[in-house]
Amino acid sequence: MKQSNTIIKTHYKREDNIAAYLMLSPWIFGFVLMWLLPMIISIYYSFTDFNLLNEPTFIGLKNYIRAFTEDKTFYKALGVTFTYVLILVPLRLAFALFIAMLLNKKHKGLGIYRTLYYVPSIIGGSIAVSVVWKQMFGNQGVIMSLLNALGMEQKVSLLGNTNTALGVIILMGVWQFGSSMLIFLSALKQIPYSLYESAMVDGAKPWKVFSKITLPMLTPTIFFNLILQIINGFRVFTESYVITDGGPLDSTLSYVLYLYRRAFTFFDMGYSCALAWILVAIIGIFTLFLFKTQNSWVHYEAGRE
Amino acid sequence: MKKNLKKVLAVLLAGTMSLSLAACSTGKSTESNQTTNTTGENTSEGEAKEDTSTSQDEITIKIAWWGSQTRHELTQKVLDLYTQTHPNIKFETSPSGWDGYFDKLSTQTASGSMPDIVQMDYLYLTTYAKNNSVTNLQEFIDDGTIDVSNIDENLLNTGKIDDKMTGLVLSSSMLSVGYNPSVFVEAGIEEPSAEWTWSDFIKLNEQIYEKTGKYGASLDSAADTNLFNYWVRQHGFSLFSDDNKSLGYEDDKILEDYITMWSNLMEKDAVPNPDEFAQIATLGQEAGPVVTGDAAMIIEWNNYASKVSTVNDKIKMVTPPLSQDSDAKGLWLKPGMFFSVAETSNVKKEAAEFINWFINSEEANDILMAERGTPVSSVIRQHMIDGGQMTDQQAAMFDAIDSAIELAGETPAPDPVGMSEVNEAFKNAANSVYYGQKSVADAAATFREEANAILARNNQ
Amino acid sequence: MGRKNKRKIHSVLFHIEACMLGFIMIYPLLWLLASSFKSNQTMFQDAYSLIPKVWDVATNYKSGFAGIGGVRFSTFFMNSLYVTVVGMLGCVISSLFAAYAFSRIKFRFGNILFGCVMMTMMIPAQVMVVPQYIILKKLNLIDTRISLILPWFFGGAFFIFLMVQFFQGIPRELDEAAQIDGCGRIQTLFKILVPIVKPAIITSSIFAFYWIWQDFFQPLIFVNSTKKFTIPLALNMYLDPNSYNNYGGLFAMSVISLLPIILFFIIFQRYLVDGIAMDGIKG
Repeated sequence: MKQSNTIIKTHYKREDNIAAYLMLSPWIFGFVLMWLLPMIISIYYSFTDFNLLNEPTFIGLKNYIRAFTEDKTFYKALGVTFTYVLILVPLRLAFALFIAMLLNKKHKGLGIYRTLYYVPSIIGGSIAVSVVWKQMFGNQGVIMSLLNALGMEQKVSLLGNTNTALGVIILMGVWQFGSSMLIFLSALKQIPYSLYESAMVDGAKPWKVFSKITLPMLTPTIFFNLILQIINGFRVFTESYVITDGGPLDSTLSYVLYLYRRAFTFFDMGYSCALAWILVAIIGIFTLFLFKTQNSWVHYEAGRE
Repeated sequence: MKKNLKKVLAVLLAGTMSLSLAACSTGKSTESNQTTNTTGENTSEGEAKEDTSTSQDEITIKIAWWGSQTRHELTQKVLDLYTQTHPNIKFETSPSGWDGYFDKLSTQTASGSMPDIVQMDYLYLTTYAKNNSVTNLQEFIDDGTIDVSNIDENLLNTGKIDDKMTGLVLSSSMLSVGYNPSVFVEAGIEEPSAEWTWSDFIKLNEQIYEKTGKYGASLDSAADTNLFNYWVRQHGFSLFSDDNKSLGYEDDKILEDYITMWSNLMEKDAVPNPDEFAQIATLGQEAGPVVTGDAAMIIEWNNYASKVSTVNDKIKMVTPPLSQDSDAKGLWLKPGMFFSVAETSNVKKEAAEFINWFINSEEANDILMAERGTPVSSVIRQHMIDGGQMTDQQAAMFDAIDSAIELAGETPAPDPVGMSEVNEAFKNAANSVYYGQKSVADAAATFREEANAILARNNQ
Repeated sequence: MGRKNKRKIHSVLFHIEACMLGFIMIYPLLWLLASSFKSNQTMFQDAYSLIPKVWDVATNYKSGFAGIGGVRFSTFFMNSLYVTVVGMLGCVISSLFAAYAFSRIKFRFGNILFGCVMMTMMIPAQVMVVPQYIILKKLNLIDTRISLILPWFFGGAFFIFLMVQFFQGIPRELDEAAQIDGCGRIQTLFKILVPIVKPAIITSSIFAFYWIWQDFFQPLIFVNSTKKFTIPLALNMYLDPNSYNNYGGLFAMSVISLLPIILFFIIFQRYLVDGIAMDGIKG
């Protein structure tokens, strides 16, 4: 990510190397122990027939081939997850940014609103939320009554309808915009006030201030949130697990819920690991692509070396 | 392959260790804190180990179970009582909710650290047995450590897989219909009797809806294959073939009829559709429509009335409908849950002694109060009835088991490996009809195709 | 005068809208709170109402605090607090150092390592838990609190990435000026950069606190003894779909378990406000 534009061959200073690795040493220690080794083991599992209880037996690429050629549910879950990511991510980011801008003004009691809006992110997958959401979008729930009152009579509730259930799950994701909002807020706080002052002296219109100052200054954070939301979106698990358990008819079966089932309910850990690494490849491609594009739209104050 | 992997891991681990040491020597506070913490923990564990080795008699049994708060309380009490009477036995307990229990158990088993005694569900017993993760308890039955003379033989043998006693059954249950008499009164219809058939059942559903606007039966006919298994057995077949590699019934019409019956009732609004049922399930069984008088019947296990008695003690139970064209006995005594002992356990004998006490002793069962379901020992059942501490619902539940032993046919072979995946396929097949996405014939054929593939893959 | 009125109306409108949105946002929390005051018998029959028909303030909380399997709820609470605070501190500090290295120092294999940081975010935890368990077992750390802290203590990808992004928003001239003044790297980091990225550090702490506090899957697998259970594990013990459930106790303890996260947020979100330290530096 730190490509050199001017110097073709990078020279690393010895003391730089030492300093960097010293500072990174806690992370590297944790990484090797809790991530690198487990990753190696799970890659190994993905090439085996392993049901958690037996000795893994090596079967080459069979698990990967099985996913792409035999497994219809794999494609179904992939489709659900792509839909989820493509709709949720823009919606949630736009909403989070909008609210963050509102809360960045000087009003009384902003702390309370910040807290209120952050609450859904805290209570995320708890049983209370699942009960309330099922209730709200169920047959006798608030939303259904509202739709009926508007003349949009529904025979099946929104959560029970294979066409709309995913929509409810996405809506729930948007509802949990709090953490993105928080990150936007802390970024807004970092924009030097002097920039705004000079703009006001020039008599710039609010929209102009937003597009010329706020937005460019926010691009690193937007970039960060975008990457993060895409990664988390592809790994969505709790919402569909808690609210619909993948139903009705697998219409909300997220990819990770499916691989979780494969691993622990169907005793298919080897195959599940293969599914996991296919997902890593997919997310990796998206992330890499975004990193490649960042030169053209992300504005870094520090400059790029 | 595995050995090589281990070597690689060892080298990498050694690498990290030296790295962490290097970090320590630079004197960063975060690291040194962590190291002292680690060593502190290690020494205390080391001391604990020494303790056990010096006093040789002391034996620790690790035991894991799932359940709700009540079960945790009662089980803990029973364990304490056992320690009191057997001072050399200590327990290390891992109580858990249902969620995650088997995730954890399989992870522990994968690394050879399965608890000594584990509560086991029928759904997974075969999987653990086939992989030799649980020990054969037969030797302890043969040498008299575990007394099984008061347990119905069919029921006991549900724990037998490949001629090994892989789990000792703790409780039994049986499909039953629970009903709310007040709804029948309201509709002016007679309550069902043990002689009723499926066509009576359909009629009742329709009548109740016509007269009261309430549901006849409120259940999810696609939740799992238990009810369908009963249906198949009434047709004289078993759900799975003897070798567990395919379905045991030849004619897809059996499944088609089953799905058609339910989807017809749904169309008439006499039973909830999957969507409505999902809504009902949110509220929990204690607030279910049968309990509150918004539905007449539910097909459940025979402990249903006892389970909901705290909120409604008027619920009655009856055996499920008979087939109008066959005498084949569909019912069977389903094992509730098992205790299995880990193959890796070092205290198998002591574990077996405890299980024997758990099943056969009056003092244990006086505490447990049939919370895990109807006890398997007929002597204990009689003792509890005589003791008179039970609710009417519990007494009725015990009676049902005694009469069911006559009604029940041959106990089906233990569930094949891959059972939960077959259930999933069944759920999707039935629901695809209920949601109008597939024809009944298509759904039945799809289920056969998928189930056969799952069974063939898992039971080689 | 008219201008002032207009601003007032504007402000009132803002508050009305914000409150309405706020109500939707915390509706489930209110529902949870209300349910914790309903009796087990009527809990779900009365489920649609936010105000209990019959108030039962004490029973659920009493039965919840009594705990499970002979361990009182306060033990679970203290376990969670210990694991969360230690884990969070380690996480934020380790991540801060790592982020500084990634964003301010050019070093060999930097790009590859940063790729590794990103990769750890992409793998579903569900397939990592078995290998992690095996390693912790080899290290004799299963069923210890350390096993719960370890995955967080040495920093997390999310936090490193977040801080890297914030560091890159700070002009490099600042560091250089400090270094010319004779500041070392550590001094530059703590004297110059940390005050500027304080909002990011606060945000990270809030997230870390919440994530460790509510983590379910890893504690579930790594810890066996009830005495060492954290709150999410304890809450899970209330539920078995096949037997009678103490929903009241569960909801009451859910309320208790949310208090620290909300309190932590309320206390620290104030520091998000005065993050305008860069004012006057850049111009």
